[in-house]
Amino acid sequence: MKTRTLTVPNKLGIHARPAALIVRKASEYRSEVFISNGVDEVNAKSIMGVMTLAAAGGTRISISTDGPDEDSALEGVCAVIETGFGEEML
Amino acid sequence: MNIEDLLGHVGLRLGLQCLTGRLGFDRLLTSPDVSRPGLCLTGYTHKFLSHRIQIFGETEITMLSEMNPGKRKKALANVFSFPVIGSIVAKGLEVPPELLEASVKAGAALFRSHRDTTPLINDLTAFLNEVFAPREVLHGTLVDVFGEGVLCVGRSAIGKSEAVLGLVERGHRLIADDTVSVRRNGDTLLGSGDPVIGYHMELRGLGFVNVPELFGVGAVKERQQLDLVVRLVDADRMGEMDRSGLETLTTEILGLSVPLVEIPVLPGRNLTVLLEVAAMLNIRRKNTGSTSSEQLNQTLLEKLQQRRGPDYPP
Repeated sequence: MKTRTLTVPNKLGIHARPAALIVRKASEYRSEVFISNGVDEVNAKSIMGVMTLAAAGGTRISISTDGPDEDSALEGVCAVIETGFGEEML
Repeated sequence: MNIEDLLGHVGLRLGLQCLTGRLGFDRLLTSPDVSRPGLCLTGYTHKFLSHRIQIFGETEITMLSEMNPGKRKKALANVFSFPVIGSIVAKGLEVPPELLEASVKAGAALFRSHRDTTPLINDLTAFLNEVFAPREVLHGTLVDVFGEGVLCVGRSAIGKSEAVLGLVERGHRLIADDTVSVRRNGDTLLGSGDPVIGYHMELRGLGFVNVPELFGVGAVKERQQLDLVVRLVDADRMGEMDRSGLETLTTEILGLSVPLVEIPVLPGRNLTVLLEVAAMLNIRRKNTGSTSSEQLNQTLLEKLQQRRGPDYPP
């Protein structure tokens, strides 16, 4: 199990498009991937779950991965978030 | 289409009575428009559209009748010095002998119709427009789902026919399976089937199934406007697909853009229901101007905005 905490870097936060990008990346790995906003934890392979977080720009979220490729899964998913989904940054 | 085909298709409807036997029956029609030769009869032949069907209405016939026989003969000889494809005298008007003579001499068909000139022209051009409309034959299955024309496409053996059979069983109507002939009419596309194949579907293992015979005449429809293309894709393409539902795809058919939905085929997925929902979503999008995905995202964006607060970040 690996965990990393980061800040949602884009202005609009995790709306449908960023959620789709996270889910697509998380689905590439065999490991389980979770995202938490400190209150709720959701499966990062479920778009509805990720949208439910309603993580606004600037929110602290933590990514955790668990499974055979947990290291690369953590790197991959964090990289997608850190790049700000190609949107306007805070 | 030649003159003989034209006579066969609309001869009765247009009340065409042939005055020149089989003369000029093999002349080919190249335009969906007709021509009124009045101006040409006056001697102005610049841009005379001789390759169109010439309609002699009351104007032309009256004008000819007011000429002396010599002048009339000359005027008609002038018209028929061009490769006239065929002529119709409308409104049951008496055909001047010089017109018949000139037609025969030129080897062009001459018809007479009891119908009034304008309605005759309207019906003739409507028919010819259909004949000359741009058309394309597509590989897919066309079905009317809640009034939406859904063309189901995808590689061979992916399950198009089976999915559509499910739709037919649910009361939707088949237009054509496997081969769909699409015609463009202005901004709309009209699909219909092949006259030989009719409403047969090929179901692997069962052979050919005559749909109206099994499901009743209400299960089929002759033609349908095409509103949506649903492409069934292999599941291995799922990884590249957009999951947000915000990406709208289109495909081009005969120069018109048509909404496209791609549905990955996976064991356990009920393609029939998915096709039905795709049609319903297309209706909803047309009625409300936005998709469910867009509306859900709008709600989420508003929530994200609230959470951020008006003076966020500090």
